[in-house]
Amino acid sequence: MLTQPFLKTLRESSAFSCLVFMVLITASPIFLEIGVGEEKTKPLSLEEARSKGREKSRLMKIARGMVDRTTQTGEPDLATFERSILPLLQSKCLACHGPDVEEGNLRVDSLDPDLLSGKSLSHWREIYKVIGNEEMPPADEADYQMSDEERGLAVDWLSQELTKASFAKRNSTPHTSFRRLTRQEYEYVMKDLLKPPYPLGDRLPTESASEDGFLKSSEMLQMSAMQFETYRELGLEGLGKVTAIGERPVPVVYNIFMSDHWDRISKADPSKLFSASHSDYKKQGQRPHLLDRSSSMGVLFSNGSVKPELPFTLEPLPEVSPVVMSLTGSFESKWNLDRFLPDEGVMRVSVRAGRTSNDPEEHIALRLIFSAHTSNNANFTEVISQHDIPVNAPADDPEYVHFDIPLSQIQRNPFRKLETTFPRRDEFLHLKCISHGKRAEIPVAIHIDHIRITAPFYAEWPPQTHTDIFIENSGLEDQDQYVREVLKRFVSRAWRRPAKPDELDRLMILYQKYLPQTNGFEEAVLEVLGTILASPEFLYLAQFPPEGQSPDSSQLDDFALASRLSFFLWSSIPDEELLRIARGGQLNDAGVRRAQVRRMLEDPKAERFAESFVSQWLGLSGLDSITHVKDAELVEAMRREPIEAFRDLLAGNDSVLNFLHDKSVWVNERLAKHYGIPNVYGPHFQKVDAPSAAQRGGILTSAAVMAMNSDGEHSNPLQRGVWMLEHILNDPPPPPPPDVPEVDLTDPRILEMTLKERIADHRNHAACRSCHARIDPWGIAFENYNAQGAFRSKIGNEPVDATAMLFSRQKLDGITGLKRYLLLDRQDQFVHALVYKMTTYALGRPLQFGDQAEIDKIATKLRKTGDGLQELVFLITESSLFNSRAQVQIHEQP
Amino acid sequence: MNNPNSGLNRRGFLWGSGMALALPWLETFANEKEAGQGTPKRFVSIYHPDGVGLPLKTDPAWKDWSWFPRGGEHDFQLTKVLDVLEPLRQDITIYSGLSHPAARRVHGHSNADQYLTGADIGGHGPYRNTVSLDQVIAEESGNLTRHASLVMSTNGGIGGPRGAQTQSYNREGRPIPAMNKPKQIFDTLFVTTGKEAKEKLARSQSALDFLIENTRALDRKLSMADRRQLQQYMDAVRDTEIKLERAQKWVNTPIPEVDTQHLVLEAGPEEARLYFQTMYELIYLSFLSDSTRVATFQLGRENGEGPHDLLSKAVDLGKAHALTHDVKKPNGWQNLGTYNRYQASEFGRFVQKLRNTPEPDGHGNMLDNTFAMHGSASSSFHLSRNYPIISAGGKNLGFRNGRYLKFGTGNEDNQAGAGITTDSGWQSRVKVEEEPLAALFVTILQRMGIDADSFSGHAGTLARV
Repeated sequence: MLTQPFLKTLRESSAFSCLVFMVLITASPIFLEIGVGEEKTKPLSLEEARSKGREKSRLMKIARGMVDRTTQTGEPDLATFERSILPLLQSKCLACHGPDVEEGNLRVDSLDPDLLSGKSLSHWREIYKVIGNEEMPPADEADYQMSDEERGLAVDWLSQELTKASFAKRNSTPHTSFRRLTRQEYEYVMKDLLKPPYPLGDRLPTESASEDGFLKSSEMLQMSAMQFETYRELGLEGLGKVTAIGERPVPVVYNIFMSDHWDRISKADPSKLFSASHSDYKKQGQRPHLLDRSSSMGVLFSNGSVKPELPFTLEPLPEVSPVVMSLTGSFESKWNLDRFLPDEGVMRVSVRAGRTSNDPEEHIALRLIFSAHTSNNANFTEVISQHDIPVNAPADDPEYVHFDIPLSQIQRNPFRKLETTFPRRDEFLHLKCISHGKRAEIPVAIHIDHIRITAPFYAEWPPQTHTDIFIENSGLEDQDQYVREVLKRFVSRAWRRPAKPDELDRLMILYQKYLPQTNGFEEAVLEVLGTILASPEFLYLAQFPPEGQSPDSSQLDDFALASRLSFFLWSSIPDEELLRIARGGQLNDAGVRRAQVRRMLEDPKAERFAESFVSQWLGLSGLDSITHVKDAELVEAMRREPIEAFRDLLAGNDSVLNFLHDKSVWVNERLAKHYGIPNVYGPHFQKVDAPSAAQRGGILTSAAVMAMNSDGEHSNPLQRGVWMLEHILNDPPPPPPPDVPEVDLTDPRILEMTLKERIADHRNHAACRSCHARIDPWGIAFENYNAQGAFRSKIGNEPVDATAMLFSRQKLDGITGLKRYLLLDRQDQFVHALVYKMTTYALGRPLQFGDQAEIDKIATKLRKTGDGLQELVFLITESSLFNSRAQVQIHEQP
Repeated sequence: MNNPNSGLNRRGFLWGSGMALALPWLETFANEKEAGQGTPKRFVSIYHPDGVGLPLKTDPAWKDWSWFPRGGEHDFQLTKVLDVLEPLRQDITIYSGLSHPAARRVHGHSNADQYLTGADIGGHGPYRNTVSLDQVIAEESGNLTRHASLVMSTNGGIGGPRGAQTQSYNREGRPIPAMNKPKQIFDTLFVTTGKEAKEKLARSQSALDFLIENTRALDRKLSMADRRQLQQYMDAVRDTEIKLERAQKWVNTPIPEVDTQHLVLEAGPEEARLYFQTMYELIYLSFLSDSTRVATFQLGRENGEGPHDLLSKAVDLGKAHALTHDVKKPNGWQNLGTYNRYQASEFGRFVQKLRNTPEPDGHGNMLDNTFAMHGSASSSFHLSRNYPIISAGGKNLGFRNGRYLKFGTGNEDNQAGAGITTDSGWQSRVKVEEEPLAALFVTILQRMGIDADSFSGHAGTLARV
């Protein structure tokens, strides 16, 4: 508490300057001025800013001993407060945050300096933030500037006290969190556990993100009767699809040999043949045709009919024929399969194909489409292949590419079983050519000589997915003993831990109940497995303490830790190896664990981490509801860009600062075209150097960020500013206060203004100023990017004005200025924010103040080890937050 | 796409023309019904978020684009927003001055959750909801039909606390997930077969027994905090048991056969018109086949997100939620009004269809035995007061239509909170008097034949209805 005599003198001496300050605020828009403080010296390059910014890092300067301290308990350091901090607050802050003027409802003279048990914690956190970010004292208050030394003093004391307070909070709330799998996790788990032919999980209700943007918070993951039933149905359905009871079903097989059609057509009308060596071929050759590669004769042809082969022959594969179908560009070949495809099972479409040119700048792939034409107005076509499959083999040495399509999951012709011939009963399969890249004079073509369609297709019988569940009987004569083995193995995978004998006993009792109700023991086993997949042990992530410890212990057992690792990095269950290590009790060994994390990151399943974390971190679901970017391929490319950047930085353990700025960009052909970057071909993402004219690099300039923070046709600087603060700096602005006047667009004075002027005008209302001064400048710096995320230097006929002045009087000159400032002055904040976000994701719960000390520790270590993205993953998995049972959210009183 | 209807034409959407419904089993049931069940009493609630346009009288847009009618109980005139309902004038009632008292100062973005429940959900802090009106009705009527209720919304699922994507809440106040895919809804109503269901039921019963026992074992190992989470799972299992018992009765009853030719079951929110119409059609079919007598359908969600913002594409307008924020922009009131007008027209189409369909048991038309409600939990911008509510039908239940019923005092011209586009509106003191909406709910319950004298803590019915 401040003493009274001091206050009196201060009140008198500061009255004048305080008045001046107030006048300034109301008289002119000082928080955002154009052309004030124009720098004459050449600005730093972004690389220079980055290395200078690193030198300025406070986190880097924290002593090693401080970082490694695992517990910081103790008494509040009131002596330092009295000696250094109090005088500083009195001289630098009290004038505006004291008894006379109470800017922002804050009085520094009434704060309790005891952060551990006092009531001013939230105010101190705010003060720590604004002093640390150099937002306060305001830069234009000459009389109140803090020297670097003074600022350091305040930040160090606050940081130390906040850490103590954070530990104290944490130790007093030894609760754990227990949450349901998210819909996405459920889908991945089922995929890894059963390998079903199509994703299971679409039917589960959608989930909403919690306030911090993440989907894993337990309060958002509810359970209802309907949802519970859906889990049961999905479990049984998945099990039914991957197991195969009884005799191998006889498949329907279609064989399409292009040579058959050649014989028919060439004999019917030889005058239609043309020569591929003739100059006209340039024209004819671009349309679908049959080509005899041995004689170089061709004939136009694209669509045919085919009947199933009975009896069918699967082997041997026919020899390669010189007669092929040639497809280029986006042409397709359509085949009438009549009505013989079965209702269920996987349809395998095998296409023997090669490409005519090996130019790496030309990309060519195949896509499958399914259709029916039941009447004039009842057609449908549906893309049924999940991904386009590139054709890479040369035309003179073609190879099969295979598509596996679950027939029960695609739109079928509902009339295929009618007795009558109308509406039409037939179904069509289209092979569509998808080509990207520079178009050569004679564009690359796909040559196909044979297509085989098999349904239902089984590579082996019984299929591998079946024997994964019904394991080979290792000589157990008693069927019940075998069933127990099957259950034991399945439980250990589904429940992510070994089954206990009493659990197996109960499962066997259930099995015995099912046995008389089902046909054969296998069906009864599947019912039991379906029940396992609806159990809380499967659907919920529990964090149990090691065997024998109390439910309130903060320790985590090895299997819970293994699950934590796998749900963090794979969004799914641990694999056999991870479980094996957990069984051996070795996961607590630092070396073993690091090796496991490395192995997990190298596994293809780690792509889910990139996809899921980046989507939630950056809020990429915002792209789902934009309507102003019409090209779906472009929207998808926008969504991928930051994910691909993340994957690449993760693989190379590159600095997380590359998110803020990078010399490279990750683009595919479509996105490169949008960015005006030449010579990028193909649908896959590539890391390329961004030409300076493209004005790209890092995720801030990605079209996804620009497009989802736009309002239909217009950029939305406010939304972009809020996005920046929430996602990149983890400093979300408070919600708007009451009595905010709307910008009245029927007012002629307002209509004459440019967007930037309107925002400035709005900000000058007293009620809006305090928040908008913190938000808008961040967004205005992005004005060079339009609502589609394309670069622009003019809006209408006016040049773009992307200069903005931050609250701290820091001038941002467009996106480069923004990046420069972030790299120079906000490195720590960004790194800290990313640590915070990724830890939230890893733990699957919102963080609280009690976690802050540990987050600080991870951020400090990360900075000291060079900011590597992979290192961040290691540090999180090694942190005590990750290795202890979590706290449950206790709502702090505001 | 210039013509919002082009998608419709292309796919040959044959509204009302030659709709055929095969109902072989209904006749077999008819006898049973005459024996005591009587003519169905149905309830449907359509909810639209974001409220309606409420410009000030001084605003030039007031004349055409203010939602509430002008004039008295019988001689009321509809503005352009609701004039599409003029042909149904004698079948509808429009209400003003109704709201749930507990939420009158809750931000409009948070209030959809309590539209049918009247719960004091508050604006922040701990959250608790209570049973919704439709589910109280379903508890009675649900025993007579295959499905107790049909819960639908465009966004699907339950949303989050104070961000509901469903109108329906069970006795524990837990949200009932809404279905949003026409195909899934159709299959639930008309495709599952009896024999499979019967076998499934028997196996389900054993599974539930096991899971209950297992969950108890797990519960003992959890800390107190975790047990609360697990309790939710346990409740879900118990609810399933209750459903199983009911389902047992239906396994031997054949599923009604419905002609699907005119239905476009793959329609999604991006084809807004087609999607709205398909969803309404599914409610109609479920009523016609007596698969259920209670339905809720939520169009979008408050604080628009996800599919919600695609819905206004039906009238070629941009993001639905932004329409309420943009009323001060040129044509702002008109744009919001146009979207509200479209919503009313789809409701009208549905009502018309019920009116045109004779009740299968010959007792009047279907509308006479259905109380259909269309409304929102906010009027003007974020303002959780003076809910804009339209009801239709229910003649045989005792409702008299063709009226504009004004309730409360001090706001006869619906100007309280009008023209406001800031949060000072919903945060301001409540100056005018409104009647609790729960009073109307009690009236509805009683006319549905349910023995109730209060709802959500409010006792008594609503006069004049």
